Amino acid sequence: MTSMVLNKSGIYALLVISALLIGLTEFGLSGKPGSLLLTLLFWSCIAQGCIALAAACELVNARWIASLRRELLSLYPLLLLLPLLFLFLWPQLDLYPWTDHPTLWLNRPFFMLRNLAILLAVFLAGRHLAKRSLDGQTTGPAAVIYLLLFVTSQTLAAFDWVMSLVWPWISTLLGAYFFTEALYAAAATSGLLMVLYFQGKTRDTSLAVGNHLRDIGLLMFGFSVLWTGLFFAQFLLLWYGNLPEEVGYILDIISNSPGRELAWLFPFALFLAPFILLLAAPVKQNRHIIAGVSCTVLGGLFIERLCLVMPTVPLHAGALLFYNLLLIAVVLLMLHSSMHVSASAD
Amino acid sequence: MPRQLYFDTPDAFLEELRAQLNAGIPRRRLRARLPFHLHEAEELLIGRPSRLRYFALGGGLAGFGGGFLLAMLTSVDWPIVTGGKPIVSVPPFLLIGYLLTILIGSLSCFAGFLWLSRLPDPGPLVSDDPFDPRFVLTINDEEAS
Amino acid sequence: MNNDISAPQVETDVLTAMRRPGLAWLTGLGLAGLLFAGGLALWAYQIMHGMGVAGITHPVGWGVYITDFVFWVGIAHSGTLISAVLFIFRARFRTSFNRAAEAMTIFALMVAGLFPLIHLGRVWRFYYLFPYPNQRQLWVNFRSPLIWDVFAVSTYFLVSLVFFYVGLMPDLAIAARHRSGRAGKLYRILSLGWTGNLRQWRHYGRLYMFLAAFATPLVASVHSIVSWDFAVSIIPGWHTTIFAPYFVAGAIFSGTAMVLTLVIPMRRVLNLQEHIPIDHIEAIAKILLLTSLIVGFSYVIEHGMAFYGENLFEMEQFRFRALGHYSLLFWIMIVCNAVLPLLLFIRRLRRSLAFLFVLSLLVNVGMWLERFVIVVCSLARDFDPYNWGNYLPSPVECGITLGSFGLFFAAFLVFVKTFPVLSITELKER
Repeated sequence: MTSMVLNKSGIYALLVISALLIGLTEFGLSGKPGSLLLTLLFWSCIAQGCIALAAACELVNARWIASLRRELLSLYPLLLLLPLLFLFLWPQLDLYPWTDHPTLWLNRPFFMLRNLAILLAVFLAGRHLAKRSLDGQTTGPAAVIYLLLFVTSQTLAAFDWVMSLVWPWISTLLGAYFFTEALYAAAATSGLLMVLYFQGKTRDTSLAVGNHLRDIGLLMFGFSVLWTGLFFAQFLLLWYGNLPEEVGYILDIISNSPGRELAWLFPFALFLAPFILLLAAPVKQNRHIIAGVSCTVLGGLFIERLCLVMPTVPLHAGALLFYNLLLIAVVLLMLHSSMHVSASAD
Repeated sequence: MPRQLYFDTPDAFLEELRAQLNAGIPRRRLRARLPFHLHEAEELLIGRPSRLRYFALGGGLAGFGGGFLLAMLTSVDWPIVTGGKPIVSVPPFLLIGYLLTILIGSLSCFAGFLWLSRLPDPGPLVSDDPFDPRFVLTINDEEAS
Repeated sequence: MNNDISAPQVETDVLTAMRRPGLAWLTGLGLAGLLFAGGLALWAYQIMHGMGVAGITHPVGWGVYITDFVFWVGIAHSGTLISAVLFIFRARFRTSFNRAAEAMTIFALMVAGLFPLIHLGRVWRFYYLFPYPNQRQLWVNFRSPLIWDVFAVSTYFLVSLVFFYVGLMPDLAIAARHRSGRAGKLYRILSLGWTGNLRQWRHYGRLYMFLAAFATPLVASVHSIVSWDFAVSIIPGWHTTIFAPYFVAGAIFSGTAMVLTLVIPMRRVLNLQEHIPIDHIEAIAKILLLTSLIVGFSYVIEHGMAFYGENLFEMEQFRFRALGHYSLLFWIMIVCNAVLPLLLFIRRLRRSLAFLFVLSLLVNVGMWLERFVIVVCSLARDFDPYNWGNYLPSPVECGITLGSFGLFFAAFLVFVKTFPVLSITELKER
């Protein structure tokens, strides 16, 4: 496996092939349309979030990013996968209830156009940022541009991809909730990278890396509290208002199994587990706990997205599993080749 | 007769402190006064973390439990339905618990700090012993300590 | 023992600022005091004659007083942000502002706490808000956001006070050394006999970290709870989930502007240019820019979503805000909060003190108007056209509002001459 280092065109080829594989499965084999949407929701959060976290850290000169910057930024080609996969959503738009009565904002051409445009823009901005950063040039403006586009893109994902599934259900916070979750996912991914990849590969157990590990632990701890705040802010208002058009969707999620159980699981994975496990100071330097918490968080995020789309979208479990395993393999391969990619950018 | 050494920079102070410790002077004979906190000095002279964290944890837990129970028990004591919500409405009561976690947690931390660092200390007030802007290392005699 | 203590330059620089009040300071204090006295007199007048002297009535029962409450609680937030959140993020520039910002937090909360009482009408009954065993055998309604407010604001005040005092302790001991006589003695007592031995410092270091850790979620939660005063209702324009983070960002936005309003003149009058470098002011300007972007984002979402859902009442509410009776205030708010701060993308303007000062004033105007627009517009146009009506603040309400600014600035001016305005200890560490 060590010889399987891809250069940049190799990575792009790999991405196109995976996109085609997913497209073929979606239309040829699975027959149920929802798996693609869920995969998009989950992976857009990770791909865009990782670059966004790197961008934000470069803006505020956070120190921990020093040991992971190259790896996080080398994931930027993944951003190209998102518009490719999104294209396959075009024949599946019947999932959305508003296709029967299009409005000024929600109609097929505009929906596809604005989402494709923003996904492409995010890719270009991410590529620009990654190249500048890996070349050692100043990244300030590039990072700001990327973050602005990232926020817009995640907001659109929340409102267009998820919320319009249950039109006219509204939670105005969902956009901000999504981009916070993307950053949270990126923090968890960094935790995994730090432990499984960076330390394992370089065998670097110096004090600096230990401190960086602690910083990531602290970051995840902070995000767990922030996530809870944003979750609670939505939950409390829907519970208080108790309006039929607002709680109907929530009841659809939680009144049938497995939604009923899963809806308990993700607040546990996204809040309680990281909060309690990372509360004590020494734990934040423990590689295994950081890795465990990172996996819990990523799993929690997946379950949360699953809950959001479950009441309205039919899913094919096999296809879902295949897409995600494929993408995990792609990401691992990209990370493996990351030294090569950044070297060719120099 | 205790000796007192004065330093203007943290580096000079730490150097001397290390030298004294290396010379075999036990920790209990050394006393330090600093114009600001130096973690290195803490590690060299004490070496174990402050126990203040138990006050933070205890206060926080007491605040959370107390706040939630306050809201719950008073609501049960005077059970009047408002806004069509249950008598024990968990989400808003969690909020009260959360706020009191912070309040009692910080207050108990402050109290714990005063207790652990033996403040208020009337000694310096009476003897007119000021807060020195320099780093002071006091080396006590064997019998004095 | 230690006779010839030569005080470091930092100490003398900061402590000289506390000496000899000049004419400008006295004039300022006089003006602020006059405003405050006027506000107090008007409040007395309102207590004697009843709430009829205020403009609030059916259907707009929440007016300028609630606007002021939200505004002042918001001002308080940046103090905690600068002292606690930036401490956790290990941002160096906080030392230039933290003391002044913490003092500002306390004064703003004192002022804010008055407004629910002023709004209460029968202010002598205010203690009904606290849960205590009483002869009436009643308890407060913990399901009401107004009670959450009582808990949130009093928690916030107490925690900020402890945080402020703890940060001040070593500096009080320094001030005591520089003062002779009774003042020196008083500072010494206030410092609780601080001598700076290692035992004190090591617990102090932990305490400061824990207080920062406790205060950080408070920054996010207090204004969230204030926002839920509105958002748990189902009034169009209020019942929206983004309110909590939107209010928090707005609070930090206005508070940061207020820090600039206070610190830019303070730096000049007290000759602290050396200790508050322009780079640090630029960092604060960046926070202002960031929060302005969040506020602008919320405006877009709030208005966009009203039309996205095609809900009749929501659409009418947001049409009314932009084009109705209060549209002038609405557009001033948009320009001051979401458009003008975008100029901070230009580095030269971020470093121009004159520009920042003017901008900070405009932002405060804009943020006050934002709260006014939110509070009043939704009440003026809810579901039932029969229940519509416009509101005009009465002179009493305006006077009390001005009085609150008087109290705030008077308190800050007194602070400047009583306590070290910069954290001497942390400046030494820097």
